[in-house]
Amino acid sequence: MNTKVEKLEKNTVKLEITVPAENFQEALKKSYNKNVGKYNIPGFRKGKAPMAVIEKYYGVGVFYEDAVQFVCDETYPKAIEENDITPVDYPEIDIVQIGKDTDFIYTAKVTVKPEVKLSEYKGVEAKKAEYPVTEEDVASQLNLMRDKNARIVTKESGKVENNDIAVIDFEGFIDGVPFEGGKGENYELTIGSGTFIPGFEEQLIGASKGDTVDVNVTFPEEYHEETLKGKPALFKVTIKEIKFKELPELDDEFAKDVSEFDTLEELKQDIRKKQEETNANRAKREYEDEVVKKVVDASEVEIPDVMVEKEIDYMMNDLNYRLKYQGLDINQYAQLMGTTAQDMRKEFKGTAEYRVKNNLVLEAIAKAEGIKAEDEEIEKRAEEIAKYYGSKDLEKMKEAILKTEKSIIEEEIVNNKVIDFLVEHSKTIE
Amino acid sequence: MKLTNYDIILRPVITEKSMNQMADRQYTFLVHPNANKSMIKKAVEEIFGVNVEDVKTLNYEGKVKRVGVHVGRRADYKKAIVKLTANSKSIEFFEGFNA
Repeated sequence: MNTKVEKLEKNTVKLEITVPAENFQEALKKSYNKNVGKYNIPGFRKGKAPMAVIEKYYGVGVFYEDAVQFVCDETYPKAIEENDITPVDYPEIDIVQIGKDTDFIYTAKVTVKPEVKLSEYKGVEAKKAEYPVTEEDVASQLNLMRDKNARIVTKESGKVENNDIAVIDFEGFIDGVPFEGGKGENYELTIGSGTFIPGFEEQLIGASKGDTVDVNVTFPEEYHEETLKGKPALFKVTIKEIKFKELPELDDEFAKDVSEFDTLEELKQDIRKKQEETNANRAKREYEDEVVKKVVDASEVEIPDVMVEKEIDYMMNDLNYRLKYQGLDINQYAQLMGTTAQDMRKEFKGTAEYRVKNNLVLEAIAKAEGIKAEDEEIEKRAEEIAKYYGSKDLEKMKEAILKTEKSIIEEEIVNNKVIDFLVEHSKTIE
Repeated sequence: MKLTNYDIILRPVITEKSMNQMADRQYTFLVHPNANKSMIKKAVEEIFGVNVEDVKTLNYEGKVKRVGVHVGRRADYKKAIVKLTANSKSIEFFEGFNA
């Protein structure tokens, strides 16, 4: 086998591969063995006709197609390995010379991983955002907790107030005629929640239990029901019960109830601590993203279209997969969003390009800095994933993961290391 | 009219059986029904430039076929199996067929 490499523009490489005649003949024979069963020739039982007879009958070319495939399957990966080429696509194969007794020559045009022109990636400057925790954050957290632990209490007497829950029967009339969907019984309406059309809830405020109130409202212009748009309506509402949410007092008792802490002060501090942690993580992640983005933006890569297309494919598949959980498929989703699958692909393009570039740049840095994933690290990560799946047989699961996803895990570890490296060598500016 | 060599040898018989016989230097042809063994021997030697050791002939009668009320008859034919001598060269026409 003989290979000539020729570099074309935009990350494509043309390989001219010459296969000696005898190798090609072997492939022809293999192809014959594969296909004899298909040919029916008078005087021969199926699968018994000699190669030469079939060739006379159907033409010399009948075995070429498979033979070419056999030869290419064998020689193309070898050629790639010998010349240290990393393709990102299937090759486009053109046959230059083919014949029974001649050398078989073909060219393979393939897109390769582009070279990354790295800029100076050490000492990138990025802003570190601070997210301080304020008293309000803590207070709102506490309020949330109070709300969760609220008890719903029936008001024995008194009137409907904002934030109360009124249990109502109602019937709606338009021009004195009841309309469809305008009737309900024992409906628990939270006043001020905006569940009903505007004006409805407010008019109930001040009524007491057992009252029947006439509520005059006008349906909004953009109401979902076509026939009701903009129509004035009269609702006859009977208040059956009034309830309200009793929020627990903010004291040590409450702290004891909802947490393992004894005093409110301790609970507050815990909330503050947790919030600080989340904020710090967020700041860190944002910082990382910014550093990486700066490095990536500063680097120059000529991204081949196939890589972008592949990434888009991947994103579409991913989306499709997630949609399946909701019982949708991508076409239905596109319809809902008022677009088409083609348009979505176009929208994804920018992100896909960035992702591809990001990966390429990180990879290039890893190579330049000699960052690698150690076997132990890969194993550790695999174990974590195995645990995450909650399999009974951890060892077995781990092995399965290592077998199928080793390269993915490796890439993940390397990428993380590169990001750490970049962050370590970056400069924080205020 | 006198039969020429090319009138005698009509065409080769290419079947699984005839292919297997090639291994024994026996080649099968369809020949003119009126040709006799010596004529066939001479014709094969002259056309292909080989030495013939033996000729066996087989006469086949055409089948009687009917289409409706009409009765017809397919042509009779004669097959010849020609054996070449041990030192003769093989017949090129068949070359490769018994691969």
